[in-house]
Amino acid sequence: MNDEKKISSPDTTEQENTLTLRNLKVIFPNEAGVIRAVEGIDLDIKPGECVALVGESGCGKSMTSLAIMKLLSSPPAMIRVDELKLNGEDLTLLSEQKMQSIRGSQMSMIFQDAMTALNPVMTVGRQLDEIFMRHSNMKRKEAKEHSIKALAMVGVPSPELRYKDFPHQLSGGMRQRVLIAMAFACQPKLIIADEPTTALDVTIQAQVLELLSDMQRKHNTSLLLITHDLSIVANMADRIYVMYSGKIVETANAYELFKKPLHPYTEGLLGAIPRLSDDHHEFIQIPDSVPHPMFKPQGCYFHPRCRYATEECKCDMPPLREIAPGHCVRCFHPLSEKGEDK
Amino acid sequence: MQKSYVIKRILYTVLIFFVVLTLNFFIPRIGVEDPAERYYPPQGNMSDDAYEAVKELTRKQYGFDVSTAEQYIRYVSDLFHGDLDTSFKSGSPKVADLIFERIPWTLVLSLSTMLIGAILGISFGAFAAWRRGRWPDLILMNASTFTTALPSFFIALILVLYMGFEWEWFPAYTDPNMVAGFDWSWEAIGRVFYNAALPIFSMAIGSIVSYAQTTRNSVIAVSGEDFILTARAKGLSNSTVLYKHTLRNAVLPIVTSLGMSVSGLIGGAVVIEQIFNWNGMGTLFLEANNTNDYPLMMGIMLFLSTFALVANLVTDLCYSLLDPRVTVGDKR
Repeated sequence: MNDEKKISSPDTTEQENTLTLRNLKVIFPNEAGVIRAVEGIDLDIKPGECVALVGESGCGKSMTSLAIMKLLSSPPAMIRVDELKLNGEDLTLLSEQKMQSIRGSQMSMIFQDAMTALNPVMTVGRQLDEIFMRHSNMKRKEAKEHSIKALAMVGVPSPELRYKDFPHQLSGGMRQRVLIAMAFACQPKLIIADEPTTALDVTIQAQVLELLSDMQRKHNTSLLLITHDLSIVANMADRIYVMYSGKIVETANAYELFKKPLHPYTEGLLGAIPRLSDDHHEFIQIPDSVPHPMFKPQGCYFHPRCRYATEECKCDMPPLREIAPGHCVRCFHPLSEKGEDK
Repeated sequence: MQKSYVIKRILYTVLIFFVVLTLNFFIPRIGVEDPAERYYPPQGNMSDDAYEAVKELTRKQYGFDVSTAEQYIRYVSDLFHGDLDTSFKSGSPKVADLIFERIPWTLVLSLSTMLIGAILGISFGAFAAWRRGRWPDLILMNASTFTTALPSFFIALILVLYMGFEWEWFPAYTDPNMVAGFDWSWEAIGRVFYNAALPIFSMAIGSIVSYAQTTRNSVIAVSGEDFILTARAKGLSNSTVLYKHTLRNAVLPIVTSLGMSVSGLIGGAVVIEQIFNWNGMGTLFLEANNTNDYPLMMGIMLFLSTFALVANLVTDLCYSLLDPRVTVGDKR
């Protein structure tokens, strides 16, 4: 990739990034060919910032998050990255043992389905204790106090009783709260939330998102929010990366992205959000689905589904260009250049 | 573990016991007009009157002279006094005595097989799962195809042929002196295991492989679960993830298969015992079958099913200690 280098987040260079990721590639070789899951992703997350990584399922979001945590097992995955730094510390150089002491304490993860993400035969209290005992060198008794405090912090009612519960005895929302408590336990610098609300009811979704956003602000944690649903990041994210088929196709701050999307894919994603305020709003539909990662099309990966595609789009992959300050797009024909075509 | 769950399981077991008891009583009586005829088949050289008299005598002796309902009540009440009836064998030995005489010998084979199978199988299975796709795993996968296709009696015959006759490592059939001269001395115990070696080997091979297979699959399945990823994302060390999260969950199906083999412990292996001329429950059952010894058969069946019931109960209770989700159905 020769085109990724110039992308930077220009505004505050004096402040060190919480996470710096440069040119991450994840591929899975198999007998039939090569699955290119992630093709050169750059991410910058500043302290206290909430960054959303948005894309359809199968576009490589989860692979990106696991690769940042260095939790992808290799083989089968082949991972290459030019730079992976957490608070200036180069994670690529760290041994697995060093990584283990960083996971859970300096960066942690919230998983999608809290039912399967919690050990079914262990009380939630014990599962919380483990983190304190592992990273803060606490004895079980002291860890228990901290765990109960952590449960109270995420709004679990009567935390002393819930401490002794098994995951199946809690409701879905409570389980997700427990996962959030686990992620914030050691006050890490970075939390990666992989579809944290997808498995929940809509009403619970809102509560959990609010909690997540509260906790993030309270602890000044950086949050990488991974989702397929642009509507849930609207209120939370400072900056948004839109990912398509293993590549970043657009990045901008949240306000700008919602107001003036430049990539036809982003336009489609936004068009798929129903709005009550707008009577004449038409759904913009993106036809078909994400290409199979083994059989990606020539040229721009999005061109078969793009209503603005030209000959050029079918031959070459467009570079990620900075159109406005902090607003980059990977498209030969960004929407704004076409004028008001809606 | 909730109390209500335990009580419910126990009551359920007692209920099943009575069903088994009743079936066990009635099934041998189905289709037979006169049980005495089963015991004492018609003889050509006997006059009808004389045969009738003999049958009458037999009926009295074995309590067939009253109605079936009365017999059932008597059977059940005898049972609760620890009386399993009298065998048709000469000398009219008590069924219970016959059974308890054979159980230790059967346990020598079955317990050893189970222990060897479980210990070696589980360790090897965990090892194979850990080295998934490498040589220990490949050996296991191929061995399991092999042993499921080979019945244990076939393995036994091959072992007898080579280790018994060809190389004379172990006795090819049981020394009758082993039972008669048993006196709890170390020498006698040693002789028992020397004689038991081949039957144990021939059954243990399949058992090891099947435990190993269960363990391997279970460990691999659990390793792919989301909560293992969570545990790793918490920064836990590999050994903590393996012991506290993976194996703790992977042990559940293994407990089930252990429980199943416990319930089969005293059944005896009919074929293997025959091959090695081993005086266990399997042989006793075969004898009872061949001599139409119905009280003995009924006694054995009842004893085996009761043992299996208790073993299942214990397994279920252990399982609910290991897996808190089991009791959830009772809560709602």
